[in-house]
Amino acid sequence: MKMWVVFSVGQRLRHIGHLDLMRAMQRALRRSGLDVCYSQGFSPHINLSLASPLPVGMAGDREVMEVPMQSLIPPETFKQRLNDALPIALRVISCHHRPDDEQAAMAQVCAAQYVFEFMDDADRLLAGVPEYLKRVSIPAIRKSKKGDVAFDIRPLIFNLFTKEGKLYATLALSQTGTAKPLTVLETLADFVGIPTPRAIATRTGLLTSCFGPLEAI
Amino acid sequence: MSLSDLMLIERLLDEVEKPARYLGGEMNAIIKEKQPGDLRFAFCFPDTYEIAMSHLGMKILYDILNAQPHIICERVCMPWVDMIEGLRREQVSLFSLETRTSLHAFDIVGFTLQYEMSFTNILEMLDLGGIKQRNEDRGESDPIVVAGGPNAANPEPLSMFIDAFMMGDGESLIVELSQTVRTMRQTGARREEILYALSKIEGVYVPRFYEAAYNKDGTLACFSPNRQGAPESVRKRIELDLENAPYPTGFLVPYTQIIHDRIVLEIMRGCTRGCRFCQAGMLYRPVRERSLDRLYGLAEKLVQNTGYEEISLSSLSSGDYPCLEELIQGLMERFREKRVSVSLPSMRLDSLVKQSLEETSQVKKSGLTLAPEAGTQRLRDVINKGVTEEDLMRAVTDAFESGWSAVKLYFMIGLPTETQEDLEGIADLAKKVVDCYYRVPKQQRAPGLRVTVSVSTFVPKPFTPFQWFGQDDLETIRGKQAFLRDRLRIKGVQFNWHDAELSFLEACVARGDRRMGEVILAAWRSGCRLDSWREHFKFANWLKAFEECGLDPAFYANRLREYSEILPWSFVDIGVTGKYLQLEDERARAGIVTPDCRGDCQGCGLRRFEGVCTA
Ligand code: SF4
Repeated sequence: MKMWVVFSVGQRLRHIGHLDLMRAMQRALRRSGLDVCYSQGFSPHINLSLASPLPVGMAGDREVMEVPMQSLIPPETFKQRLNDALPIALRVISCHHRPDDEQAAMAQVCAAQYVFEFMDDADRLLAGVPEYLKRVSIPAIRKSKKGDVAFDIRPLIFNLFTKEGKLYATLALSQTGTAKPLTVLETLADFVGIPTPRAIATRTGLLTSCFGPLEAI
Repeated sequence: MSLSDLMLIERLLDEVEKPARYLGGEMNAIIKEKQPGDLRFAFCFPDTYEIAMSHLGMKILYDILNAQPHIICERVCMPWVDMIEGLRREQVSLFSLETRTSLHAFDIVGFTLQYEMSFTNILEMLDLGGIKQRNEDRGESDPIVVAGGPNAANPEPLSMFIDAFMMGDGESLIVELSQTVRTMRQTGARREEILYALSKIEGVYVPRFYEAAYNKDGTLACFSPNRQGAPESVRKRIELDLENAPYPTGFLVPYTQIIHDRIVLEIMRGCTRGCRFCQAGMLYRPVRERSLDRLYGLAEKLVQNTGYEEISLSSLSSGDYPCLEELIQGLMERFREKRVSVSLPSMRLDSLVKQSLEETSQVKKSGLTLAPEAGTQRLRDVINKGVTEEDLMRAVTDAFESGWSAVKLYFMIGLPTETQEDLEGIADLAKKVVDCYYRVPKQQRAPGLRVTVSVSTFVPKPFTPFQWFGQDDLETIRGKQAFLRDRLRIKGVQFNWHDAELSFLEACVARGDRRMGEVILAAWRSGCRLDSWREHFKFANWLKAFEECGLDPAFYANRLREYSEILPWSFVDIGVTGKYLQLEDERARAGIVTPDCRGDCQGCGLRRFEGVCTA
């Protein structure tokens, strides 16, 4: 048995690292007293996993965590008890039972949605979005162990639009290809010819290969 | 704080290396909305978040203040250099973790004084927070700046900056002080009158009501109150009923990893051992304990409220807790199912019980830490560290036989009466520990022997029998370090030593007088802060600061003081008398040990106050 937990990471916590978030969840689960599985050994821990690490500096509206369970607990109860044990900036939105033999959440993520709110003037940037998208190929650089690697980011951008001064993006996020939100922002700024405006980004959801929300499979 | 300032903070968080330090919003953080008439207290820790959040005293007082009606307590830590730079550039005030409130908007700004070399951080934090550093420059609308903690025992080096000091245990005192400020502010009392009222509270020292005069040779000629009603001698506060003293049941649980990321149970306060170099041993007398039941109750709530996976016990000498084994066993039984481990820090090697060693190893096998402090029995007698080589060897053998392979040994150099032989003794002991390991059969011992020998430089501290002693000068220390480096080239042994320069300055500041404030200020002006972080320590700037102020650091650090001298901290009564300290110093010189005073009162002075010491 496992539980998928959809939760949000508030803006207040957008700077905590992936491991810090994992540890915070571990401790919250311990506080909640929910019947989760612990590993064996000297320092037993809960084998929870996150569908995708939330980039540092970003808040998350619908992150997904997978928790191995000892017994079947109604999702509503799970949600309430975990929420009672979480700090205000972390909130459970919904919980879902999943069969044990199902692919891990991590393997099912294909894309993610983001929204950028700007701290600097971004009018020109936003105006440039349609032209930017018209290009068939957009060269970008990815850092890897072997150094910088050039790649084409255009096919990894599934959607990009502006609304009320904000920038919305749906970007590839999988083993076969990932467009980092910051890279998209940088190439866009570069294309328009301005320095990258500072922004607070939020990841608003994780999507499967058929572009449905991960938790709704 | 204005909206644009809050936005600027968000930007700065994107820039700095470890933003998680500045976020707040941790589990069990307390956020209270300010109501009219509420008093806001900024609890300031003059070091980084990771160190601050590991500190027990802060957790205790944070909870106590916030449990009070009409008092709001928020935390402020020393920012790292990147954040300091950002705050200055963007002209944003240093802010609290809870609500990002500017430091200068608080009614009381309180610093905890844990380490002398963090004093420049206090000046930095005041400056970043928009508060004038000199107390005489502050006006009616400025916060009242207070300080407490062990370093408040000699408040004089900070007397230029702090409005009021709190001496001794803080649990009741901090509430009394805060409520006094709150009620007086409500009636519109002037700053001077508020401070005067504070000086009437037992345990509070208000430096502006005292004056110091000096002899030609630089020593104190006299020190006395300059306002009628201010007490001649300030007596520290003692929390007699530790059992029922408030203790937090919901520790803050930081997101980022801190130094002591676990539940800490204070089982005992004070120590009766009487090690002659140890300031805490004298400051925190008398010994008080918490009962097993109280501790189980606290642990239960803390495990429930924090989700921590480890409990550690805290006191100056946990081995002296009367039912230590029962406690460890009891905690392990209670929390086995919840998978919480129990660890024993800072064990004194003479009270090590093999059984408890094995108990802990069941759950957690961390390294074994032992502090013989000196290399020979003669010198250990001088410092009254009642530990024999036999004790040490037995503890180490037990540990190796139970599967430990890492041992840390702590020593000091520069102790009174130290000779070459004592230094040799340190290397000999290290060698013997290595031999111990190889004597344990190969099948039984864990592989990978690691003996860490940590050698610090002795810093004479106020309120110890060695408070008159002159610290070794820098050259001597460096020579001793070089000697040990050479002698400790032993396979399996790693030698660590402390910066001699830092210990030298620590000795200056620890036993400084009022004039030391100018030196600290001059050092800060020349860019000194975060002194305890090697990469930011600027020794040359400190020396220049002394020069600018016309003071000689050797006068404070290296000079042997006369028993008859008025010491800058003489007016503080910490319970143990100067007479007793002198007696202990004389006994040290004669190599006479003083027994543990539990059940065998040595007349240290605490019994002058009725009902205080029943050990
Ligand atoms: S009064 Fe006596 S028993 Fe109490 S701490 Fe002092 S010496 Fe020890």
